[in-house]
Amino acid sequence: MNLSIYSDDKTWLHSLDPRTKLFGTTIVFIVCLCFNHPLHTGAIALCMFALALSAGAQKAIWKLRYIILMLFLFSAMLWPFFTSGKTIVWTWKSLKLTRESILYGLAMGFRLSTFVITGLILMATTKNEEITDGLIKMKIPYPLAFAFSTALRLVPTFVKAGATIVQAQVSRGLDLESRNIISRFGKFIPLAVPMFISAIRYTNLLAMALESRGFSPDMQRTFFYEPTMTKRDWIILYFLAALLFISLYMRIILNMGVVMPGRI
Amino acid sequence: MRYAFLMWNNTRMIVLVAVSAAIYAAALAAFKTAIPLIPGITEVRVAGIFLMTFGFLFGPAGAWGLGIGNVIGDLLGGTLGPASIAGFFGNFLLGYLPYTMWLTFFPFAETSYEWNAKNPRSWSAYISINVISSFACAVTIGLMVDALGFVPYAVVSRIIAINNIIGNFLGVILLIAVYDVTKNQLGLLWIDVMRVKPVGLSVRGICGAWIIAIGSIAGICAGFIPGLPTTAIIWSSLMLIILGSLIL
Repeated sequence: MNLSIYSDDKTWLHSLDPRTKLFGTTIVFIVCLCFNHPLHTGAIALCMFALALSAGAQKAIWKLRYIILMLFLFSAMLWPFFTSGKTIVWTWKSLKLTRESILYGLAMGFRLSTFVITGLILMATTKNEEITDGLIKMKIPYPLAFAFSTALRLVPTFVKAGATIVQAQVSRGLDLESRNIISRFGKFIPLAVPMFISAIRYTNLLAMALESRGFSPDMQRTFFYEPTMTKRDWIILYFLAALLFISLYMRIILNMGVVMPGRI
Repeated sequence: MRYAFLMWNNTRMIVLVAVSAAIYAAALAAFKTAIPLIPGITEVRVAGIFLMTFGFLFGPAGAWGLGIGNVIGDLLGGTLGPASIAGFFGNFLLGYLPYTMWLTFFPFAETSYEWNAKNPRSWSAYISINVISSFACAVTIGLMVDALGFVPYAVVSRIIAINNIIGNFLGVILLIAVYDVTKNQLGLLWIDVMRVKPVGLSVRGICGAWIIAIGSIAGICAGFIPGLPTTAIIWSSLMLIILGSLIL
């Protein structure tokens, strides 16, 4: 089972500093939250899709195409029934659909799709180690970053161990495919016990290995890989900061890109 | 809340954070697209069986592990976004409340920090904390996800609450199976690793536990009673959950 979304290309986004990509992703998320009109959120979604193509993230998007599509449809169909507006389009008993709520639903569908695509661009262009290095450089406490990176490295090991346990039980006659959801849910528990025990045995070994090498959570350290910000990183960050400023100005001062004023 | 920060000075607890985050993330990523309920937001969470077990056995390490594990699950599942922040805090609570409320949630609480399947007090503590922590998580995530325009609170909060409650109920089998091995063979029960006594039955502890309980129940019930200012109640509930968590 391949868990990685990273695509091993050499695009301009791959070569950026991880901090630029982390900050950039955060800024895009905030820009998305500035508008709730489908024209604006749709335009942002289109831009991010184009960026994904230029970053070689199309494989990752294709892999999650059903999630993105379902997310869009689900949001576009659900929100109109949970928000209200002035222009009534359709009523039936207590149910009411308004033009504003339908537009809001569409806008939220685009917004959610943009979030997923943006996250995918980050994951497709940044290695797990680079994310950890970026977090450390952004002054995240080292023990927390260490736990995060160790967990990232252990996930494939545990997935592999889990798959071995599942295969061993299936070869003994365990049927994981048939019956309903609850029943299948329940069948997972006997598998979780050996998975848990085998994983937790790592703890003492890993802690001893760390302590024997002089690991101390609050010690100052140096790093083999030191990410450096280049001129290009700064240009991109200034551009994104300007974009954020313009978006906030449009929303707060000009009240543009808003179909439902009371909501984000 | 003290131990949630003190634990970062203990190597074994840091490793426990990493291991519990990895187990949780592995289970989340493996079953992410198996049975989606709201695509990209929530699914039938097989990993839900680990919640109470991690929180009770590993204490603060379990809480941080669940929070980080949820973010890694989003990262590997391709659904990383602003909702992951909500997921972090919600899942942190799912691990934080079991160990902080185990001795403080009077009159349902246990009298000592141990799991005994033959003792009704262990069951009453387990069941009551399961419901409260699931509600607290649902209110936290539901409110943030609604505010971000992802999914309406009324829909997502109930799905998360039910999902977690079922996961925790089934997870008691896991706790029964691994408690003795973890405590006595591996010596990894958090109070033994950190060599501390958890917050016992005190006025402060009881107040904290009940503030969280009131906030959680009010937050979930707000949507069921017509005519109430739902948004105001839900925000107040979140404030109570945060306040109670800080007190504990």
